Amino acid sequence: MTTRLTGLLLVLPALAMVLLFFILPLSASVIGAFEVETGFGLANFVKAFDFYSQDMLFTLVIVCLSTVLIGLLAIAIGGYLTLGENPRAVAILRNLYRWPMFIPFIVVGQVMRTFLAKNGLMNSTLAASGLIDPAQAVSLLDWRGIVIAFVWKQTPFVALLVAGSMASLDRGTIEAARNLGASRLRILVEIVVPQVARTIMVGLILSFVTMMSVLSVPLMINAQSPTMLTADIAFRINAYGDYGTANALGTISLVMSAAAALIYLRMTLRERS
Amino acid sequence: MKIVLKAALATGLLASPATAAELTVLTAGDQNMVDYVNEYLAPLFEEQNPGNTVRVVGTGPGDAGSQKIVERSEAQGKANAETWDYDVAVVHEKFVGPLVKAGYLEQYRDRISTGKLVTRANADMALGTDVKGYVMPMFNSQTALAYNPALVSNPPKSYEELVNWAKENPGKFGYNGIKGGASGVSFVMGWIYAFGEGDANKLMNGPFEEAETKKWDGALASLKDFTTNAQLTPGNAGTLDMLSRGEIAIGPVWVDMFYSWQANGQLPPEFKLVLPEPGMPGQPMHYVIPSKATDVKLAEKFVELATSPKVQAEGIVERFSWYPGIDAQHVQAELEPASWNKLFTDVTPEDLAKNGKPFPIAPYNSAILEAYERSVSN
Amino acid sequence: MMRMSPLSLDLWWLPRAASLGLLAFVIFGPLGNLLLWAFTEKWYYPHTLPLEYGLSFWSKVFSARGNALESLSNSVLVACLTVLLSLALAVPAGYALARLKLPWRGAILLAFLIPQAFPNLTVYVNIARLFYQIGLNGTILGVVIVHTTHGLVFAVWIATAAFSAVDHELEQAARSIGAGPLRTFFDVTLPLALPGLMASAIFVFLESLDEFTGSYFVGAPDVNMLPLLLYTAGSGGNYQIASITAVLLLIPSIGFMLFVERFLKADVLSRVGH
Repeated sequence: MTTRLTGLLLVLPALAMVLLFFILPLSASVIGAFEVETGFGLANFVKAFDFYSQDMLFTLVIVCLSTVLIGLLAIAIGGYLTLGENPRAVAILRNLYRWPMFIPFIVVGQVMRTFLAKNGLMNSTLAASGLIDPAQAVSLLDWRGIVIAFVWKQTPFVALLVAGSMASLDRGTIEAARNLGASRLRILVEIVVPQVARTIMVGLILSFVTMMSVLSVPLMINAQSPTMLTADIAFRINAYGDYGTANALGTISLVMSAAAALIYLRMTLRERS
Repeated sequence: MKIVLKAALATGLLASPATAAELTVLTAGDQNMVDYVNEYLAPLFEEQNPGNTVRVVGTGPGDAGSQKIVERSEAQGKANAETWDYDVAVVHEKFVGPLVKAGYLEQYRDRISTGKLVTRANADMALGTDVKGYVMPMFNSQTALAYNPALVSNPPKSYEELVNWAKENPGKFGYNGIKGGASGVSFVMGWIYAFGEGDANKLMNGPFEEAETKKWDGALASLKDFTTNAQLTPGNAGTLDMLSRGEIAIGPVWVDMFYSWQANGQLPPEFKLVLPEPGMPGQPMHYVIPSKATDVKLAEKFVELATSPKVQAEGIVERFSWYPGIDAQHVQAELEPASWNKLFTDVTPEDLAKNGKPFPIAPYNSAILEAYERSVSN
Repeated sequence: MMRMSPLSLDLWWLPRAASLGLLAFVIFGPLGNLLLWAFTEKWYYPHTLPLEYGLSFWSKVFSARGNALESLSNSVLVACLTVLLSLALAVPAGYALARLKLPWRGAILLAFLIPQAFPNLTVYVNIARLFYQIGLNGTILGVVIVHTTHGLVFAVWIATAAFSAVDHELEQAARSIGAGPLRTFFDVTLPLALPGLMASAIFVFLESLDEFTGSYFVGAPDVNMLPLLLYTAGSGGNYQIASITAVLLLIPSIGFMLFVERFLKADVLSRVGH
């Protein structure tokens, strides 16, 4: 009982901060999602599904796909940093992968818009070096552009966490497996990844949630239909002053993020018990 | 830790409410609007009113920027703040109505000397709401089609011609739908004016009738069809961006943005504008003063300066090639004919008079957007 | 295996160079684009590269009436305070969530996620209203609080994971040789969790440095932050000013990361001698 109390006391300051300065103001918005002219009802949600069910699916697919790609790339980068045997290559990679992390999302949107376009810097560089025929250049400014922007920006974030966690693993097992002749890929998949699974999950869920709430990337790369829910929320507010539907969409987005988080929480719960 | 927090509190306290007469101006719109107020208007005002200072905060481009000013006002209104933390705001036409209806604004136009220099209807009515006296127009903005003369030698002069042109040149016309900014919205409104079965004048002037909203089905179906030959661009800036990279040859843009992109070297100087028949919408940016401004008198002085013929001529017309907010004849008198004519290089005053339209009144505006969401983008 | 012979060792550089080269293009391509725009005077089709380079936009950003430097220092101050506050709150919370028996553990972790998970556009009006009522609007403290509520999810979740990963047996060993619980925490648990905590500090710092909406509603017009300039320029398509602002923001970001890494290394090294 006393450890429970101590635990609660330790959590309390942080929790109070979030409750007081975010969840309290938020509750007005969530209640607003259920407010209709005649009192309370689900009209805002009906409208949200009526207009934007396609966008909900689109958002989910984009964010899930990006999360998977981020996870794979982050494991690959972390794995090479941990298991790579050429110090020079490891040093190059270490200095290379982190840069996108420092670029704010709104600038990521702008940079990708001018980089991935049909006549953007990427295609013109590739054409100039003779790798593609300029006539065949295509624009990537659709769902692919959003995924690329997300993966570009978020991979370093997860990779930094994963690499840090991998670095603190006990080298003994890895060396032993190595001496037994196991390939590095096998060591990565069978020994390293399982031990840092929790960190990978935490990184991925934080990325998932971040991507769900980013407005500038979809707005600057592809705000057409289908688009992401954040763009719809902004549109509902700025074009119609319609906070009801915007809040309903926000609540739906929150539910999606919470569902992703629950997967992780159940996993850790099972581990703890 | 404690020291740091104390320092934070101290800085915070020092930074809160100003002691000297400091005028705070919030402005929606692009960076050039912030720069205009900060680099041109503010120094002028400070020179004429020694001891006072002006500070400017940009709230972001487009409707989102104005919406943030409305939200800031709501937050202070509902919190019953004694005095508000801004004295003057520049907002888009669409957001003046809600601010007036909520009772947040000062009715100041008759009290300033430049108030009678404005006779245009859009200074009295804003998308169907009576705002007479509450606003002074900073400038009038207009949408038009921007095109690349190297690719389009004979630009379409009307929506009809544009439809045919797009059919012959698939993928060379681009617009930004309705979610990426008002230049696309404006294109859609112009489309309804041109091809809707109802009376366009009723959409612009009211009154709102439910029956009218049923008359757009044909126009929206043809717009959907037209859009298959068009490219959808990411936002107001996205259209200019694709124009500048040669990915599209023609597209709807805000005239003021077009000129600032040219001035920033982001768009070739030879690009041109055309205002197609039967017209595309434009809108004024308005100066408003909240009733709870710290110093309403000083705020009025500021707006008076900003809407004086000299400033309108030098700042709005000469610097930016924007259409003045106050009546043209007062501004023209202040300018060399050459500078004045530069304003009408591509779009003549006659074009502007004939084809420069207002947006539909608010309820029609929303109804058209929702109809578009339902039928075109699905 | 293959690595053993010197000849094949060299051959490994082929795939290595190819993949590192590709990665470099993917990362520095867009970044190069950003840098080019920061120094561009004129750039449009059909020119692959800018037609004219110059610094005129830099002088605009740093003009006497612009407040870029003041905004930058405000942003850095707020970001540092946000990191301190977040870590101060997250270390005990993360330890409790990882190590102690807690009721509603899942719900508590979820609560920290909410500020990041609910798209904020509709919430800030309410937050601003609350802050006007309690007089926090227009203060550095107000902005720090808003940024902390957003940063806490990184700090708490990562701290929880970091403390969970610390080996129990090491703590028990310390206890068995007579160290008290607090001593064990500061000498054993905390240092082992430190890499994770420092990574979370970097994320909280970056999050705070880039945040716009809260900074506008709670900070401006009294406390101006650099992202305000970034947002207006970026969403309006003024590529030069947005790029310059982003480059300015890179300086504290990278500086902070180098500082953290240095501090981390010194700390870890100092423990080796014990």
